[in-house]
Amino acid sequence: MKKMGLREFLFILPILLLIGIFSLWPVVQSFTYTFFDYQLNDQTKSGLYLNERFNVDVYNETAFYVERFLDRSEIAAEEDQETVEQVVEKLNNVTSQFEGKEGVIEIDNELKSDIQESYTVTSEAINTLSEKYELQREQELPSLVKDLDNSLIESNFIGFQGYIKAFKDDRVHTAFINTFVFTIVSVAFELVLGLGMALIMNKGMRGQGFIRTASLIPWALPTAVGALMWSYLYDGGYGIVAKIFADIGLIAEANDLMQTATGAMSAAILADIWKTTPYMAILLLAGLQTIPKSLYEAGSIDGASKFQQFFRITLPLLKPSILVALLFRTLDAFRVFDLIYVLTNGGPGGSTETLSIYSYKAMFGQTNFGYGSVIVMIMFVCVAIIAIIFVRVLGTNLMEKN
Amino acid sequence: MAQQPNHPDAPKSKWPFLLLLTFYLVVVVFPFFWILVTSFKSSGEIFGDNAFGVIPENPTLDHYASVIIDKGILRAVWNSLIVSFTTTVYIILVATFSAYAISRFEFKGKSVLLGLVLAVSMFPQMIVIGPIYNLFIELGWANSYWIVLPYSSITLPMAVWILVTHFNQIPLALEESARMDGATPFQTLFRIVFPLAAPGVFTTAIIVFIIAWNEFVLTITINSQSEYHTVPVAISFLRTQFEILWGEVAAATVIVTIPTLLIVLFFQRQIVSGLTSGGVKE
Repeated sequence: MKKMGLREFLFILPILLLIGIFSLWPVVQSFTYTFFDYQLNDQTKSGLYLNERFNVDVYNETAFYVERFLDRSEIAAEEDQETVEQVVEKLNNVTSQFEGKEGVIEIDNELKSDIQESYTVTSEAINTLSEKYELQREQELPSLVKDLDNSLIESNFIGFQGYIKAFKDDRVHTAFINTFVFTIVSVAFELVLGLGMALIMNKGMRGQGFIRTASLIPWALPTAVGALMWSYLYDGGYGIVAKIFADIGLIAEANDLMQTATGAMSAAILADIWKTTPYMAILLLAGLQTIPKSLYEAGSIDGASKFQQFFRITLPLLKPSILVALLFRTLDAFRVFDLIYVLTNGGPGGSTETLSIYSYKAMFGQTNFGYGSVIVMIMFVCVAIIAIIFVRVLGTNLMEKN
Repeated sequence: MAQQPNHPDAPKSKWPFLLLLTFYLVVVVFPFFWILVTSFKSSGEIFGDNAFGVIPENPTLDHYASVIIDKGILRAVWNSLIVSFTTTVYIILVATFSAYAISRFEFKGKSVLLGLVLAVSMFPQMIVIGPIYNLFIELGWANSYWIVLPYSSITLPMAVWILVTHFNQIPLALEESARMDGATPFQTLFRIVFPLAAPGVFTTAIIVFIIAWNEFVLTITINSQSEYHTVPVAISFLRTQFEILWGEVAAATVIVTIPTLLIVLFFQRQIVSGLTSGGVKE
């Protein structure tokens, strides 16, 4: 093999850039999000603020309105006039300190205490004045003045609190269990059924092309489309699969399939099995075809039965294929999103909500990127653990093939 | 007689297998068949007495008309084609070069790169969504075809993995003899290596295309305007607040299953070889 020079480095530059920008950077970024109370719909939390910040725009706007509403013509007593003057002066004094700046800026302690003082002065003044006079917009003034204080943005760095919250969160526990149930049950069925199918397909009969085509379509069809198709077949009122299941007594009533917790989870698992068993079968078929026929011949001459041949020859030789297929299928099932999002959206009552569904809802439903990322990180750790276990069992096979 | 099962085509063992096979095919194909039937039923029949009937009493094309004209499903198919095709082209270019380098050159951090590619293929996709969403909003790239760039995080690892396997199967000796005959490195690459690798590259391209064709999360989050919806996303929006429009869903499903069916029909051999070289150690 040749050493790599500069020109050859150009060969891998694009992949480094793409993986760096669209895979690794987001992972690091997500990890950072988990340490902040980062919520897009909350102005004071819509960024990652390690230090305290000051929102110039909010302050200026508030000061402007406070001044306008303190209508001096209404205020008779001289000492009260003075109070108003004081307030205005205080506000202007602060405003002058960050003239020409806008948006969210970093501030020093002096300015910070000035701002806090201006808030105290103003709110006290408003309290006294509103007792004596009829002020403009008296109802709204207190909350308006509060915005002076709100213009100071506290750091939303929360450290590990997001993780602690997640560990105590019942919804995370449920999602975690759901994810595991979904993964283990569907992968177990897919493996057994897929292996059975592969053994049958390996018989080398006519019409293999047709069987292969039929098997590949569920895999190639977008999961969201497949899920929607199944949600029609499962419908309690006019879904044929729900009706068949009810007729043969698998479920008590056709409605139960999508409206009970167990029903919905079984429905999701069944749809997943439908979609991926053929794929599993094809992967395993490829493994089967590498096993030399002569081994079986030798086996049968020695008087091994079909079962003995399966357990002594097929399974051991197929082990690497099975493990690799199992690894990728397990991870796929663990990350399941489209299928459940379209089929049940986590319902009924959270009974099919997996970790990815919950994290998605936290991030894009509640716009809570911080907490959503915490859930994603928990998933990430689980995926890593699953992968490590498999790679341990697989040995170095996975990398060696290159 | 009982000692005969070592013969794969022994007639005795054939029937149960055929029966199982038929059952399997029925299970796999039935949902499609039922959707096809439903797409021709009038709404009254879908929700009414004939809900479980196999033959539509008054076959109608209304749902197709509605989905194509009112809901613009063809626009979604078009978007899907653009997005999947673009992804395939650039991913294949990038993956081919890097897989070639990984297969042929010795360099520092090669196993790190391979491990990284493998690790990326195992990430939960959800992990990249938040930051990518923010990045796209900031760059003003939301609701555009720039969405194909983050598609790399789901397609690139698979593509590199399959291609490295393919390149490893091309004997190094061929390149060496070309070089002996005075070919420049780039001539070797374009005249010798790429033609030999072409079948593998084509196989990879189909797999990448299908992965991109199926993508859901990135598009639904980042391209929220229906103008940029791809097929999977557009179909998931075929509902009103209170009900799913099953007739239209069925018609749309039939429409989008057709391209999928064609791809699988024409390229099943390539798909199988791609899936197995990417997923299974030989």
